[in-house]
Amino acid sequence: MYFTLIYVFVDIPISCAVTFKFGYSTVAINYVVEPQQKKQEIPKPQNVSDIFDKFPVVQGKSSPVKVLNRLTIIASDASHFVSCNFDLVAVYPKTEKLFHAACMTFDVDIICIAVAEKQPFHFKRAPVNGAIDRGVFFETCYAAAIRDTTMRRYTIANAISLMEVCKGKNIIVSSGAERPLELRGPYDIANLGLLFSLSEGDAKAAVSTNCRSVLLHGETRATASGVVYTMKKPKTPQKQEEESPISKKAKTELA
Amino acid sequence: MVRFKSRYLLCEVCVPDRSSLQLLEDRTIYNTLRAAVNRAHGDYGSALFNIGVIVKYLNAHTGVVLIRSRKKHYRLIWSALSFITCLENRGQKVQCFLNCLHVGGTIRTCQKFLVKYNRQQLHRMLPDCKTDAEKQEVRRAILSCSLSNVREEEADEDGSDDDGDEET
Repeated sequence: MYFTLIYVFVDIPISCAVTFKFGYSTVAINYVVEPQQKKQEIPKPQNVSDIFDKFPVVQGKSSPVKVLNRLTIIASDASHFVSCNFDLVAVYPKTEKLFHAACMTFDVDIICIAVAEKQPFHFKRAPVNGAIDRGVFFETCYAAAIRDTTMRRYTIANAISLMEVCKGKNIIVSSGAERPLELRGPYDIANLGLLFSLSEGDAKAAVSTNCRSVLLHGETRATASGVVYTMKKPKTPQKQEEESPISKKAKTELA
Repeated sequence: MVRFKSRYLLCEVCVPDRSSLQLLEDRTIYNTLRAAVNRAHGDYGSALFNIGVIVKYLNAHTGVVLIRSRKKHYRLIWSALSFITCLENRGQKVQCFLNCLHVGGTIRTCQKFLVKYNRQQLHRMLPDCKTDAEKQEVRRAILSCSLSNVREEEADEDGSDDDGDEET
């Protein structure tokens, strides 16, 4: 059961077709937002059923694949966004303060690690451990490493410095692919994890079980601590009239 | 008993259009792989590549490559595989990537896996077939999949390969 959280801007059906051919069972389409002002609008995600008429079946199983929407916020300012339309929320902190805040307080699922540049700040153990306790995951992208040699150095360097602090826990590896040719199979990525000084079990987990945990975390963000889950139930208009006296009754009883 | 152990990496070359696959040669793969290992792991990687690595099998129709390397160093070679972005063949650059399907200890285990994998791919191609004749071809190919019929089955897949192209 392999998951990938992929960034795709163009050729979404083709890239997804390639991913499913590899055997991935879940794909997340990424929308990147870089807020310039305080109250910038968050773009609405394209409805997944618009892209695919019929979901292809997972290779080797009979269940259909899942396609999710994911938002990445490039944070350079301490302003907080609440987004309900997206299944997953990620944040890309640019400064140390933001990284600390993102690990401890922000309501996100994923924290992205820089791949295209030298990390401007060092990872400290306190916020990283806080994030691991909360269930937030750290993400590395591998597509930059495939594109360019200098990016490769930065990716590996940043990833290794992160691994030293977090000891290989709560890591996911995702593709930052902009074209279908930059995607790689799950075994290959697990092997890349060895380059990032992950152990073999951790590298495999980074592609499968940790990703599943991220998805569950994203789902439980909409619930109250993962215990209560509200769903809109379609009501008929007759029932609505009957229900209001009952609710009034409940209030008086409590009082 | 001291045995000489090796690892066989079964990979598939994925290209956007299948026609450019026809010109593939083992020398191309070998040279590209050597360049990639040199770029990724430097002189140490090149040295390891020189002693143990050889391209054992290549199927230009399906794009399947079997690479052999020493057991101690196969991970290093494998990690450089993912960084290959294009194959250069007589001056023509073909955009592609190598997808590793299976790692085996012997050629026979890789062959067994390849038969199973080809059968799965044929199954996936079946709903994409447009005419009945093609469907019959694919079904016949699926039924004839077995280790002794490996060459026959690859020829069958070649016939029905041109039809179900949607997965690449």
